[in-house]
Amino acid sequence: MNISRREFLKLCGTSAAAIGLTVGDLKLLKKALANPNGPTVIWLQGSGCTGCSESFLNFISTTRPQTAADVLISSINLTYHPNLMALAGDSAVAQAQKAYNAGGYVLAIEGGVPTKFGGNACRAWSFNGQRVTFQQAVVDLASRAAAILCIGTCAAWGGIPAAPPNPTGVKGVKAVTGKNTINIAGCPPHPDWIAWAVVQLVLGSTINLDANGRPTALYGSNMHQNCPRRDSDRAIIPGVDNACQIYLGCQGPVTNSSCPSTLWNNRQNWCIDANARCLGCTSPTFPGTQLFSYVGGPAGPHRPDFIQSNLNQCQQCHSGTTAEAGSTGGAVGTGPHSPAFIQSHLNKCQQCHSGKTAGAGGTGGAGRTGGAGGTGPHGAAFIKSHKNQCQQCH
Amino acid sequence: MAITAVIDPVTRIEGHLEIEVQVDAVKGVQKVVEAHAAGTLFRGFENILMNRPPEDAQHLTQRICGVCPVPHGMAAVMALDSAFKVTPPANARIMRNLVLGANFIQSHILHFYHLTLPDFIDGPAMPPWQPSWKADKRFDAATTSTLVQHYVKALEMTRKAHEMGALFGGRMPDPPAYIPGGFTTTPRAGRIKKFQAYLNELIPFIQDIYISDVELLGFLYKDYFSIGRGRGHLLAYGVFDQDNAGNVKLLKRGLVVNGSTTVGPVDATRITEQVTYSWYSDNTHNLKPSSGLTVPQYPKTGAYSWLKAPRYGGYPMEVGPLARMWVNGDYRKGISVMDRHMARAQEALKLAQAMRSWVGQLTAGGAVYAECSPPASATSFGLTEAPRGALGHWLKIVNSKIGKYQVVTPTCWNASPRDGAGKRGPIEMALIGTPVQDIAQPTEVVRVIHSFDPCLSCAVHVMRPAEGRKVYALGHYRGR
Repeated sequence: MNISRREFLKLCGTSAAAIGLTVGDLKLLKKALANPNGPTVIWLQGSGCTGCSESFLNFISTTRPQTAADVLISSINLTYHPNLMALAGDSAVAQAQKAYNAGGYVLAIEGGVPTKFGGNACRAWSFNGQRVTFQQAVVDLASRAAAILCIGTCAAWGGIPAAPPNPTGVKGVKAVTGKNTINIAGCPPHPDWIAWAVVQLVLGSTINLDANGRPTALYGSNMHQNCPRRDSDRAIIPGVDNACQIYLGCQGPVTNSSCPSTLWNNRQNWCIDANARCLGCTSPTFPGTQLFSYVGGPAGPHRPDFIQSNLNQCQQCHSGTTAEAGSTGGAVGTGPHSPAFIQSHLNKCQQCHSGKTAGAGGTGGAGRTGGAGGTGPHGAAFIKSHKNQCQQCH
Repeated sequence: MAITAVIDPVTRIEGHLEIEVQVDAVKGVQKVVEAHAAGTLFRGFENILMNRPPEDAQHLTQRICGVCPVPHGMAAVMALDSAFKVTPPANARIMRNLVLGANFIQSHILHFYHLTLPDFIDGPAMPPWQPSWKADKRFDAATTSTLVQHYVKALEMTRKAHEMGALFGGRMPDPPAYIPGGFTTTPRAGRIKKFQAYLNELIPFIQDIYISDVELLGFLYKDYFSIGRGRGHLLAYGVFDQDNAGNVKLLKRGLVVNGSTTVGPVDATRITEQVTYSWYSDNTHNLKPSSGLTVPQYPKTGAYSWLKAPRYGGYPMEVGPLARMWVNGDYRKGISVMDRHMARAQEALKLAQAMRSWVGQLTAGGAVYAECSPPASATSFGLTEAPRGALGHWLKIVNSKIGKYQVVTPTCWNASPRDGAGKRGPIEMALIGTPVQDIAQPTEVVRVIHSFDPCLSCAVHVMRPAEGRKVYALGHYRGR
């Protein structure tokens, strides 16, 4: 810890700007690191599900800290955590109060902040006979925090509880406090991401953030670009091994995360290797109005006008892509590659697409895209030569 | 003169719970004479689900609770299977059970070591384990030290239970593999083998360490076999289908009145949700979940909880491992704080051993999905069990979208506030008569609450009793 702390103090000049700390914050952070037990961490839970804490407990690494227990025992001084702390009631809240009085702690927040009903849709605690809403607790504690970690998509931007119609007026921590936050996105975040952020704070390393407040080291790359199934055949029904899930609405192309390299649960599996679709759970827009709406859909990357305006990028992967296909190039929505369409037309699809994937070969093969180019069913050439057939449906 | 204590938050639970108890001398012993349990978080999941594609349900409802996401995924796909009129292949049924089983094992171990044990021992001499309440710690230093080691070992075991579940689920928590019509993962031989290896590590831990530690706790805290009984009305929907029709389950469906050994049938249409003391519009009082509505109203006179009060034919029912094991005939020693811990531990072992045989029934290369698509309209429900008790999802599809979604969680049953007839919820009732030595550190109250393994993200509200006399314990539950 001592080495870490010295290291931190040396580096915090550069890290401060990166994580949006002011000079005042910096003093508090230095104070936090002066604690022999590591920086004091207050972990609050608001409008959430405890899934982020559950995920963090699965942390495992070959280097120190090696486990969640190691983080708790050797790296930080976790003075308040609703699931883990021994105390309850006023005596528990008093611990947070003590840390608040001292100032300069790391504030980790899990869950969004409900603002409707005067904040009473979520109560943090009662103290000295006063009931305190989560919103009030967050605003108060943020004011004296050295750094604020948003653990999970809810704390960062509202997440699921903020989905339409946002029944309790949930907002992210920055929107409520006006303070800069380090957003460890995910629903839940990978334990490595949470531990990484804690360790960076302890070490005082520079944390570069993207426009959404996410560390670029964790969220700087596109999921689909690094997906091992990117160039595989496209599955047209669920449960097919080694097939790309893009026609089924996988959110990988519009999602930034390091999942393809970290994998999940001690590298035992991850969403894609389970033949499941990426939900896009690290995105500020998650979960939108429907989970699997973007990709290839009316607003997605296989939409003709999207392709037109992004042709250079498309062609980095999809050689010869053109945007001539008209309005049915989508893999989702009402187009012929939408899951609903495929499900209801499976016999017809399978006339061209052998088996359960839409492979690159064969007459009807879609090639790389669900959509616009190549020799696939939405390619201009294909449509010209199959016009009568197309018009049976379209 | 009665003293009121409020515990807010009740820590080491999932979600937000406040408990208010009133303590008074009864025949010379200071006891809880009144209790109110209040859920202090409302998210409105049921309203968020409206107008979304039906197949979003299993992903979103898993986020009701990060400690027991899988049961929500299971309940959702059961409701969706029924609406889509599809029967998943055997492989899918088995993998759904295995991942759910992994969640049960993870949750049960976590509950005992990480949520409950700190009520009885002092953890490492640093936050978040200390400071702690000092009252009534009966273990000697050597045993305490051993139990602290088991606490750390249990962290490893819960992690491994999650890793086991992820082999088929994709990731834990919140596995994405549950879909209407089946499962996305295929049971490759390598995964089957790894799953067995995890079971081979978890089963000895459950058998030799977890169950032994619970028995040791029961030996030293024998008085807790007679604390926290409540009414003894037990309800189990049953779980872990052993055939594709769902007729045979590892843990049966059934209902017990007042600790009887007679098990009655369950008629789901007798379930209603009452809101007299809940922050919801009285226009939605006593509706069946199939026609239920969630219309928040805050403030509301007399109300004290964000939890509704589910009732079965008007009865408040306790749900959880003890209810399941009792209904199944596997555990009928008693109903109390310690019996809940015993039944939970024994259920973990029974389940883990059954999983060993299920994983052998998987067919590598066999089908995992039956084709299906959302109907334009449908009404259906899915009844299953979460680690902490009976869980139901009620679904209505309108214009191929979710037109209505109602969730009745286990903690909604257990931590429910009073109903229209003024009957206390199960936790409130179980608290009555609990002796309390030191009102400033009402550790006995917290022990009773923890025995239910409340998970309030889903469900719980406790309201304030009549002004004047109250003891409150506040905490986090999982709710919706």
